[in-house]
Amino acid sequence: MRPDRVWEIARKDMASVRRHKYVLYGLIGIPLIFAIFIPMASIYPVVTSEEPLDNKLPPFAQPGMAPKQAVVTGLANMAVLMFMFLPAAIPSTIASYTFVGEKVNRQLEPLLATPTTDLELLIGKGLGAFVPAMAATFASFAGLVAIVDVLTFPLFGYLLLPNLISAVVLLVYAPLVCLLSVSWSIFISSKVSDVRAAMQLGIVGIAPVLLFYFLFMGGIVSLEWMTLVAFGLVLASASAGLFALSKATFQREEILTKWR
Amino acid sequence: MIKLQGLTRKFNGLVAVDGLTFEVGEGEIFGLLGPNGAGKTTTVRMLCCLIKPTGGKAFVGGYEVGKDALRVREIVGLLPEAPGLYGELSAYRNLEFYAKLYGVPKRRREENIERFLKMLGLWGRRDDPVATFSRGMQQKLAIVRAMVHEPKVLFLDEPTAALAPESAKTVRDFILELKQERRTIFLCTHNLHEAERLCDRVAITNSKLIAIGSPSELEQKFGPSRTEIRLERVSRKIVDAVRRLKHVKGVEVVGDKLMVEVEDPEAANPVIVEAVVKHGGRVRYVARAVHALEETYLRLVRESEA
Ligand SMILES: Nc1ncnc2c1ncn2[C@@H]1O[C@H](COP(=O)(O)OP(=O)(O)OP(=O)(O)O)[C@@H](O)[C@H]1O
Ligand SMILES: [Mg+2]
Repeated sequence: MRPDRVWEIARKDMASVRRHKYVLYGLIGIPLIFAIFIPMASIYPVVTSEEPLDNKLPPFAQPGMAPKQAVVTGLANMAVLMFMFLPAAIPSTIASYTFVGEKVNRQLEPLLATPTTDLELLIGKGLGAFVPAMAATFASFAGLVAIVDVLTFPLFGYLLLPNLISAVVLLVYAPLVCLLSVSWSIFISSKVSDVRAAMQLGIVGIAPVLLFYFLFMGGIVSLEWMTLVAFGLVLASASAGLFALSKATFQREEILTKWR
Repeated sequence: MIKLQGLTRKFNGLVAVDGLTFEVGEGEIFGLLGPNGAGKTTTVRMLCCLIKPTGGKAFVGGYEVGKDALRVREIVGLLPEAPGLYGELSAYRNLEFYAKLYGVPKRRREENIERFLKMLGLWGRRDDPVATFSRGMQQKLAIVRAMVHEPKVLFLDEPTAALAPESAKTVRDFILELKQERRTIFLCTHNLHEAERLCDRVAITNSKLIAIGSPSELEQKFGPSRTEIRLERVSRKIVDAVRRLKHVKGVEVVGDKLMVEVEDPEAANPVIVEAVVKHGGRVRYVARAVHALEETYLRLVRESEA
């Protein structure tokens, strides 16, 4: 594999994406909403309200803390978990354009004629969706951290975020979820020939994140290290499996005839 | 340079390309002619390793298609049926992207892009997004893209479709220039006039190979010979007189022209002219009918379909 070719493919996709208005709006708008709207809607009301009653705490409240702190910490962790939706959802929007869009516009034929290997093409195109999605996630997370800390510093007297969970989410889960979503998008691009259909199917990629999120919100799992490791393993094996699947689907000499 | 041995491609039951066997020499301009759906695009795609043959073999520059796909791709350039450029990027960026994927070093890349864009008259528009280009300009840009790594073998699928006459001429001149550099050029076309002017040899196909040779060879071997005689005025008397002549197989009147089908034009023409003059015809000029390849082509294709 030649890194310069891979990077060139990724760079070109990113340049193309920058010029697609709607993709660009999504890439900026959704992370902005995540960074501002979520903490303002969940944490702000709790911080500014009366001390909640000890026996009426929600299931996600952090055990072993004063009630208000417990609820706020739980909400902050939930907001952090929410951030997995970004790397899960963004790649499918991008990949819908750079895979299905290019297939429909017949831009793949000259590309497939170049002396790049299948793996170079696959990784290059995957990276073209991965990098912007991760960048948007990190930028958005920085915004979240700033807002949450401003809101909660008076209550805690220390910076609530970033905490250990956010490090795990951002540095381990987010890239895995992103890889999962990219692989899934590549797989579905071989099956559909319509950008919208690809986007809609691509959203299925957020399923594992959704599942984990609701398990936590309902108090069925708590964020102890066992759960974190288990979820990490599930994600790692799912994304490895899907990547292998997308690699197997990416049969260069079939794309022009079978990918319809 | 290019060698096909029984090259075949089936699409569930439909045989798009049926056992093509022929060779194309280095530095040759070779034309593939055939009606719509004759398998021209499919053939080119197989030779560029974009789709797999279902039978037979092919070699490009000594490398086997399918087996040595990466090597083949390195030495060929392709103008596909649809230009497939990135509309949101500038012309220059499109070319730069491809040049990098072909591993052309920076200096060379810049020189080539400039040289080819200038040759096809697009240098002034290099920084504009391709989406703002006309269909013909896009076609020319796609030809530059196919050339940006200076391939030994260039495949052009209908290079002058969508081009206005003067652009078509620019592209033909460009192709002839490339021939000077001893590149092998394989082109698919419907434009027989163009094939006649550009190609050293042509193959006429309709899934199967129907005929192959230089345009003039094909005309001689398969084409009806027609002599065109333009008169001041055509009269019944003249037509009847010509029709009675021994070498004449048929006469058709088109406006003030007599289109005479003959077996051996060089023997027949003097006799025909004599007869015309004798019956009061005033000859403005005598010529060999143009579009000779076209007629040959149409006849061969019709016969292959019968
Ligand atoms: N991917 C495919 N799946 C099924 N059939 C195909 C496919 N590609 C081509 N064909 C069929 O193969 C035949 C040859 O097609 P091809 O595009 O090679 O013809 P062509 O000579 O290039 O025609 P044209 O002059 O219209 O460009 C056609 O009957 C076409 O329908
Ligand atoms: Mg074609």
